[in-house]
Amino acid sequence: MNTRSPLIVGLVALGGVALIVIAFVYWVEPASSLPSFFPGHVAKHAAEANHHHIKHGIAAFFVGLAALVFAWFQTGKKKAA
Amino acid sequence: MIVGSLISYAQAIALGLLQGVSELFPISSLGHSVILPRLLGWDIHQNDPYFLSFLVATHLATAIVLLLFFWRDWVRIIKGMGRSLRDRGIAPDDNDAKLGWLLVVGTIPAGLLGLLLEHPLRRVFASPESAAIFLMLNGFLLYGAELLRRRAPETDTDDDARLAKQVGFPHAFGIGAAQALALIPGFSRSGATMGGGLLAGLSNRDAARFAFLLATPIIGAAAILKLPELFGPHGAGIRGQALVASLCSAVTAYIAVRVLLRFFETNRLTPFALYCGIAGAICAAVIPFL
Repeated sequence: MNTRSPLIVGLVALGGVALIVIAFVYWVEPASSLPSFFPGHVAKHAAEANHHHIKHGIAAFFVGLAALVFAWFQTGKKKAA
Repeated sequence: MIVGSLISYAQAIALGLLQGVSELFPISSLGHSVILPRLLGWDIHQNDPYFLSFLVATHLATAIVLLLFFWRDWVRIIKGMGRSLRDRGIAPDDNDAKLGWLLVVGTIPAGLLGLLLEHPLRRVFASPESAAIFLMLNGFLLYGAELLRRRAPETDTDDDARLAKQVGFPHAFGIGAAQALALIPGFSRSGATMGGGLLAGLSNRDAARFAFLLATPIIGAAAILKLPELFGPHGAGIRGQALVASLCSAVTAYIAVRVLLRFFETNRLTPFALYCGIAGAICAAVIPFL
């Protein structure tokens, strides 16, 4: 896939950075302190309130990294067909 | 809890030897580690935390063996990926870079699905009865992959050049996603990748080589992620057994890679399909009466 659209490349890069930030939030914050729209968020009195969603963080981190690599490749010189 | 008698050293040796072989042969290591204890009347259960910690050690040993076995290939692949990052693109003749990114694309869906589905699937399908049935289905899957394989002409003599040219990124993604089947005890991860490779037009040997390369990061990452559990409370009383099992697993994994790469030069998945079908059917019939 080779889009070369600056808008799409920018959005993918932005998404990649956002996912990496989300990964750190998952690693640092317990489940009850996560924003309520994050998968894995639980109420303060729930049994898993102090659980850290390490795996969610790893998943977000690697997808974010993949998005950044994709965006990086898209900024390279266009090869002749 | 009598910690010292959770897994005996004899059981650890048997499970370690079995793990090394069954992880790389397309016959489901997880399925065998669920079925064998029931067949032999061992009081070991797949979902017990200490058993999962024990399995982590044997998986890590298998991943280390794979990494060392393909060490030169990995060095070339990583150098190729570095070149492509530097040049911001994969050069048409850079097979190492293409193979490296194919492995990354194949690893991402397997890793994500593994992270998300491992616990729910193991909870639901961890019984020896279901593992036996899925082992039988794994046999059909392997046989089906052999029947439906696409035979692409082999134009290159270099192994990695063939892989890089015959496997596309969508194929790599599909093969990676198919590995998630192996989260169900009875289905084989290497079987899914080898079958996917055949459907993508690879020869049996190339499909096996791609499966082994794809296995290394996934098995290694899963093992490293869970390694702290082995050194935590769940590892108490089984660390010695885990070490012995890991050594046994490493030996059989090494033999398995050598044997399989040579075996697939001239042979097919059919014997493994037959084994899984017959063994699964027999176990499914026998286990309810044990």
